[in-house]
Amino acid sequence: MTTQHAPDSMYRSTEGLGIWEHRGKVAAVGIGHSPTARRWDETPETSMGAWSILALRRAMEDAGVSPDQVDGLVVVPETTTGANWPEGKALPMDVVNAFNTTSDPLDGVAQLSTEWLLKNMPELTNVKFTMYAPVCMSAALAVAAQAVGDGLTHTCLVLKSWHNLEGRYYQGGANAEDAIPGTPAIRNLWGAPASYGTALQFAEYCRKYGKTHDMMAPFMENSRRNGLMFPEGYWAQHRPERLTEEDYLVARWIAKPASLYDNDIPIMVSGAYLFTTAERAQSMKRKPVYILNHATSTTQPRSLTPTLDEVEEDTARTARKIYEGAGITAKDLSFENMYDGFSLFHQFHLEGLGYRGIKFGEALDFYQTDISIEGPNPVSPSGGNIGSGRSRFWMHTDCIQQLQGRAGDRQVTGVKPEIAVSGGPMPTGGSFTVWSATPD
Amino acid sequence: MVKQGVLPDEFSKPFWDAANDERLVIQNCKACDRLQHPPLPACRRCGSEDSLEWKEMSGRGTIYNHGVVYDCPVRLLQDDQPFNVAVIMLDDDPGIQMFSHLPGAPVDDVPAGASVEVIFEASANGQKVPEWRVTG
Amino acid sequence: MTILISFDIDGTLEVGDPPGVLTLDMMRIAQDKGFWIGSCSDRTLSGQRDLWELHEIRVDFVATKPMLPEIMSRFKADGYYHIGDREDLDKRYALAAGFEFLWPHEAVLMPWFLPEGSPETG
Repeated sequence: MTTQHAPDSMYRSTEGLGIWEHRGKVAAVGIGHSPTARRWDETPETSMGAWSILALRRAMEDAGVSPDQVDGLVVVPETTTGANWPEGKALPMDVVNAFNTTSDPLDGVAQLSTEWLLKNMPELTNVKFTMYAPVCMSAALAVAAQAVGDGLTHTCLVLKSWHNLEGRYYQGGANAEDAIPGTPAIRNLWGAPASYGTALQFAEYCRKYGKTHDMMAPFMENSRRNGLMFPEGYWAQHRPERLTEEDYLVARWIAKPASLYDNDIPIMVSGAYLFTTAERAQSMKRKPVYILNHATSTTQPRSLTPTLDEVEEDTARTARKIYEGAGITAKDLSFENMYDGFSLFHQFHLEGLGYRGIKFGEALDFYQTDISIEGPNPVSPSGGNIGSGRSRFWMHTDCIQQLQGRAGDRQVTGVKPEIAVSGGPMPTGGSFTVWSATPD
Repeated sequence: MVKQGVLPDEFSKPFWDAANDERLVIQNCKACDRLQHPPLPACRRCGSEDSLEWKEMSGRGTIYNHGVVYDCPVRLLQDDQPFNVAVIMLDDDPGIQMFSHLPGAPVDDVPAGASVEVIFEASANGQKVPEWRVTG
Repeated sequence: MTILISFDIDGTLEVGDPPGVLTLDMMRIAQDKGFWIGSCSDRTLSGQRDLWELHEIRVDFVATKPMLPEIMSRFKADGYYHIGDREDLDKRYALAAGFEFLWPHEAVLMPWFLPEGSPETG
């Protein structure tokens, strides 16, 4: 079976599409997570492939679905946090021998194919639909939701995995060379780290609206607090350390105004979900969480990096798409759970959504109010990447768990969890899912 | 600070050749009368490959904003940290941006909106690179 | 002669992630000898304080890397050393702040960490 990347037609990326044709007819039922680790220790049982299998099996078990009932698999094939397996370095033989391999020796280690998964999960005997989605779980969820809605699969696993290796990420390859090719040099010669673009937008945001980096502190504290109540997350599992205002304010800069803690920590982790039709979900183990819409932004900046104006135009446009297809308004959101890795763009998502009526330039003031899970205006109850490390899927798991009423210590108590939206990664490029406790 | 050397490829060669002549050129679609940067194989608006040209710029711009890099992934620049990376908007078309280390400007003391002019500095292998200097 | 030693944690100390070659007993020995000791890490200040409370070591300071100049001004010592495992995050910050820098494998050989009465201490 050859797996294709999802065609553009599967994404809802333009305005004016009206209510999603499958609104409330697709549901998330199962969730599966692997453990987390800062870096791979090069043993077979902690490899990205092994953890992918574990996450998928846990998602099926969570949903109460047997493997032979699964007929679909949507996977993100890219798994790097920025670390690549060194060229010429041999894989440990016990890793090679532990799995059925494909033609790519790094399959299951530093990238992931559906072929590798199916070869190593013989219990998945009835998978007839496979598809790739790019980069993030957020895109994979949009593809899976559309595929189930379109009838391409009725019981579909969705998977995103991450590998992280030794060394500092992004410091190898071209960045270590004395000279680089002319085309990428036009953009890359100035040595800006990954968070630079966001830092620049944030600097412009502060200049335009008279805000300061210090005003981010309550959001950061709140996010780590929520993350420490996320037992699937890195900080909760390995280093249950709070992030205080003092901690945040004395952190070293990476690309000022982005500090160390504004950058999420790269980790090893796999996450999986089980999507099915609303009808089939009724007979499964978990309470279904219905999908009201998915929306995607594919906006490209005019030039090297998005300006604040471009960001604000696009987050507003994305919100209109989200609300239009779901048939809801900002007032319907029980809480806010958009992406946060880098933390300095979370306010763009928040303001674009108009969450609790906030407008452009108001989110940092909003952060100074009660944004806790106990209050009336929860912000990032998942804690996001700040709270649990870089997965880009904590907010999806949290939305499902909150609406199922099984978010544990993170369960929101100041609002009734009924409708939520999650997604990312970037404010100007990402996919978003609207979740609901009821199908209508 | 000395940037990584540049190895012009076929696609980018006109940009880098002009830099060696101390001229700033930007890709332009003649059909749309629209600049685009970074350069692409086709016009992003009309899709044309045939109507692309390299157009010389005035060499004047304005600072949009800046960040200060303290943790640079590029090895050759790490000894120069911290350093400014500003975004310049060209006077010819403010939608077109270029990065700059703003040589001569104090670290983290960069006025948004200040006027700049293009200069050219040698990279590690001698290839000249467009840079920007504050003029007021 | 008073010496101040700043310890990076991850990759340097045995309690780091990854663990390093310097033990907590070495820190205790140096402290018993009258050295100023503390940690300087990318870990949060509160996380560093919690770590030392857990291991019952009363460090004289906790710091982030850019705080090394502040540590130097707070403590009057005859020598300032930072021990760490990263060229960019330890050595560069240490030298910029006027500290001497030691890699962990160099530091373990220093007589500072030998118990009083050891032959090597004279």
